[in-house]
Amino acid sequence: MDVKYKVNRLQTTNEIRPLVDKHWADLRTAKERGEKVAWASGPTFIFAYAMGMKCHFMAGYSAYCGGIGAGEEVLKVAEMTGDLPETCSYHRLHMGMGEAVARGIDINPQAILPMPDLMVAGRLCPEMSHYAEGLNRRFDIRVLPIDLPSVYDLKDQPRLREFVYRQFKEVVIPTVEEVCGKPFDYDRMSEILTVLKKVATLRNQCWEFFKTKPACWTLWDYGVSIAPVFYLMGNPAGIAYYERLLEELQERKEKGIPAIAPDGEKYRLYWDGWLPWAFLGKFMRKFTPNGAICLCGRYPWEFFPHPELIDPEHPVETWADLYYGEGRLTYHFSPHGTVDLISELIEDYSIDGLVMFSSKTCRIMNLSQPGVIDVLDKKYGIPGVIVEGDMIDPAMISDAQIETRLEALYEMIDSRRR
Amino acid sequence: MEKVLTEIAEITADPYGYVAGLKERKEKKVIGCFPMHIPDEIIHAADLIPVVIWRGNEPVTWGHAHVPPYDCGITRSFVDDAVRGKLGFMDGMVFHVRQCLQAGEFPFIMERHVKPSYQKVLYLPALYPGDVMRDFTITELEGFKTSLEEFTGKKISDDNLNKSIEIYNKNRGLLERVYEIRREKPEILKAREVMQIVWSSMFMLKEDHNKLLTELIKGMEAKTVEPEKDKIRVIPVGCLCQTLQFDILDLIEDLGMIIPDDDLYIGSRYFANQVNLDGSPLGALADRYLTRTPVCPTKGVWQVHWGDEAIKKMRDNDARGIISIIVKYCPPHACYYPDFKSKMEKEGINAIMIEMEHEIITLEAIKTRLQSFVEIIGGV
Ligand code: SF4
Ligand code: SF4
Repeated sequence: MDVKYKVNRLQTTNEIRPLVDKHWADLRTAKERGEKVAWASGPTFIFAYAMGMKCHFMAGYSAYCGGIGAGEEVLKVAEMTGDLPETCSYHRLHMGMGEAVARGIDINPQAILPMPDLMVAGRLCPEMSHYAEGLNRRFDIRVLPIDLPSVYDLKDQPRLREFVYRQFKEVVIPTVEEVCGKPFDYDRMSEILTVLKKVATLRNQCWEFFKTKPACWTLWDYGVSIAPVFYLMGNPAGIAYYERLLEELQERKEKGIPAIAPDGEKYRLYWDGWLPWAFLGKFMRKFTPNGAICLCGRYPWEFFPHPELIDPEHPVETWADLYYGEGRLTYHFSPHGTVDLISELIEDYSIDGLVMFSSKTCRIMNLSQPGVIDVLDKKYGIPGVIVEGDMIDPAMISDAQIETRLEALYEMIDSRRR
Repeated sequence: MEKVLTEIAEITADPYGYVAGLKERKEKKVIGCFPMHIPDEIIHAADLIPVVIWRGNEPVTWGHAHVPPYDCGITRSFVDDAVRGKLGFMDGMVFHVRQCLQAGEFPFIMERHVKPSYQKVLYLPALYPGDVMRDFTITELEGFKTSLEEFTGKKISDDNLNKSIEIYNKNRGLLERVYEIRREKPEILKAREVMQIVWSSMFMLKEDHNKLLTELIKGMEAKTVEPEKDKIRVIPVGCLCQTLQFDILDLIEDLGMIIPDDDLYIGSRYFANQVNLDGSPLGALADRYLTRTPVCPTKGVWQVHWGDEAIKKMRDNDARGIISIIVKYCPPHACYYPDFKSKMEKEGINAIMIEMEHEIITLEAIKTRLQSFVEIIGGV
């Protein structure tokens, strides 16, 4: 008889929306309070936060826009004002929002941000440079650019660490000091990191409940809980949030409540690529009826999976080390690092199959995905499929394609189980 | 002149065969560079054959399983060549992984499918402020040089490097001379011939190419051409990393336009800027890389507007319009294009954009757009 699967919703995750709403609302009203505003891409907002600036974060804003259902209308403005649909949807969202403000085009007011005093443009991906350049050309925004290469080979890591650290010290800090008219606040940066360390430690305890069989929550629940371990960093509300989440998960475990009813998952999946912010519900509806849940992924594991490495006493050094030292955060975004990371995740979370989300407008991972599937299939005998789509742009999402690929994955898992 | 042009046309008709033959004749190893901005003088100085990786002219076949359709033409073609085993003649490969996201993932695919005995990843930086950028570029180039020394077992001296730089500078100077003559008498060469001339420089040994160019220039200087005054001068811009389909160039000319100069990668951008020979050769190579013009959208430059550069080129050549050619799914160019377009509109420049795909099914749509463009700028 067919099992009727249904998601058991967590209570705590309802508390995230007010937190992120407040963050963006504070940012929207910062100028009224005479505060300085920054925009950031890559892990650079911490420098603005340390100086007391209110700061946006590129992917966080994009996720927020997608989450509040404003993505499509902002993308339309971008298209109307000349942006090409093949460019990254995060890029287009920012261009669209900027153009909407500049031209007085009516969009969801929650999607509007004040133009920044400084744009701290970390170039983890070249598109992050393109959007900063575009914003500078169009709206004369001051840009503080930083080059942040992903480590392809671990032996390259030390020299890249030095390169990035020097930029932090020689370019970033002097520039934020100049913009804010005061010395860099190393103590505040340390405080932010102290809070982050606590939040990430609690979050790791929550991750343990992905390991249980059945799992107590899903990657989507964690996906909506990322802000406290990233762009809400330094905010003690993040500690309270994860404490409550942890309590709820412990309670679930004790009471035997799985992430999906009636008895938990049939397929435990790994999710590669960005989370499809505007389509989380859509994907959930494709997974749940089949008893499938995603439990871990490359992007959601980007947020300090090793909090023990955070050293608040040496804030700038530790920041460089997290990304280019033992933390290996950028290495995990290049193909070999991905294979290493997914291997660990497959083992830790007892994964049955891989869903490789290939964004049609973000090409940071998609070229290597077929190879990564192949390597891991050979190593673990675990199948994987590529699902094409986009994080925000509905024009890039095809239901039929998603369903066909996921069905193929379930069949492969079944046949290997037989 | 005709003899040289025929030879170049033959060489560019089959770069795979040419490079494989060259390798055999010279008994040297071949190193493929992907594709823009790698200072391949260093490879040359290591007594190896550097070749800039190209977009093949065949439709993608086996590559479909390895590369999404929403990647650019050279990416798709290169991956297809790799998985079909067409790149076996390359002993080594070097990638500038920071050029764009697609370039960043090549080494992984090549390691798996081509398994070159030498592979190097360069993280050439964006042209951002701070001494750290130049220092890091030099560190990258030093590492590159060392890796080649380890590969060949031979030291690369400053002398070797300077000799190679001289040969490369000579090539740049000769190509510049070809362009100078073309600017004076644009009727002298077909646009496809010009592209073949530059493209062949990317995979021939520069000393061989220099000989061809010297002969070609002699012929070009001696040749008189009837000016075709009714032709409308236009400047093509863009087409990063790859050859433009020759048919598109022919189409532009067939529609009554003529190209006195260009701002294409396989064009004037390739040979722009000499390497300074005073001082440290690696420092000089770094400085050439770090030069802001011609503006390349992969380099993170915004202090100079690409549109201004293109307009200057147009005016310097008495041209009447600009044709942007965007490789479909090339994010660096696609992200820049709206600002380029606004600049054209603001300055009242006649400009058009055409998108180029690797597999062109029909030229009709491009033809229609170009036709209406030529009508607007005062043609037929
Ligand atoms: S291309 Fe991808 S990695 Fe780059 S900014 Fe866009 S979404 Fe982010
Ligand atoms: S054409 Fe554009 S996208 Fe393709 S490899 Fe070159 S820079 Fe990258």
